[in-house]
Amino acid sequence: MWRYEKRLQYPVNISQPNPKLAQFIISQYGGPDGEAAAAMRYLSQRYAMPYEKGKAVLNDVGTEELGHFEIIGAIVHQLTRNLTPQEIEESGFGPYYIDHTTGLWPQAAGGIPFNACEFQSKGDPVTDLFEDLAAEQKARVTYDNILRVVKDPEVCDPIRFLREREVVHFQRFGEALRDVQEHLNSRNFYAFNPAFDKASAGSQTAS
Amino acid sequence: MTCGCKNQLLMNVYETGFAMDDILLYLDTHPTDQEAMNYYNYIRQLNQEAVRAYEQAYGPLMADQVSSDNWSWIKSPWPWEGGNA
Repeated sequence: MWRYEKRLQYPVNISQPNPKLAQFIISQYGGPDGEAAAAMRYLSQRYAMPYEKGKAVLNDVGTEELGHFEIIGAIVHQLTRNLTPQEIEESGFGPYYIDHTTGLWPQAAGGIPFNACEFQSKGDPVTDLFEDLAAEQKARVTYDNILRVVKDPEVCDPIRFLREREVVHFQRFGEALRDVQEHLNSRNFYAFNPAFDKASAGSQTAS
Repeated sequence: MTCGCKNQLLMNVYETGFAMDDILLYLDTHPTDQEAMNYYNYIRQLNQEAVRAYEQAYGPLMADQVSSDNWSWIKSPWPWEGGNA
């Protein structure tokens, strides 16, 4: 189960509102490569992972992603504080404001709502870990795209932290994938699915 | 609350843990209720003792409680496999 710690994983202190930027960054809240999808992806994939290192990495990266979801929420919230109707209209934040005021709602930058189809849970450890490696790179690119259009150092700072964590997670998932492959038949990693074909996996599922 | 724990030390963790979860919500909407505050202080103590006793016997419930020389955190079974249940 989870317990809440009353702090962000990395501090967010943004003094200048910027609704246009909020609309870009909200993609990492509920967009296709956002933090909600990341947390749901890894925490859902845990159940099909037969090996200890993989189970721990999925559990603990998934938990960290919940913290990142909160950091993005804090950034979007602070970027949309104390806005005038005129600022909202001129910034392009109007369509979001009409439906949600300045409340947080998971959507992509283009307004597409969060959807479980943003992530996969295939029930096959090799497949799931390749999905995760790609997901971390896609999130890293999204943060790179955000950083190109952000000038405010108070916004750049936590975004750079989140970008760096994508790189670290990619590294850990790569190590978990190597560990999974070491449990499998080196001449054919796809001979059986160790999450499903228990008889074929044999004693290999023990560690 | 009762649970189907086989183990008395674990039963204590579940019961005092749930009591903490429940009084937390009550105090959120009744932050000046002195009786509830007293209950929180009472159950918090019991919960800390229950967690400490269980962890000493069966290993860490949270990652920051790993105290051995090796990373026992990754040891199966995990909760979804029936661990600590």
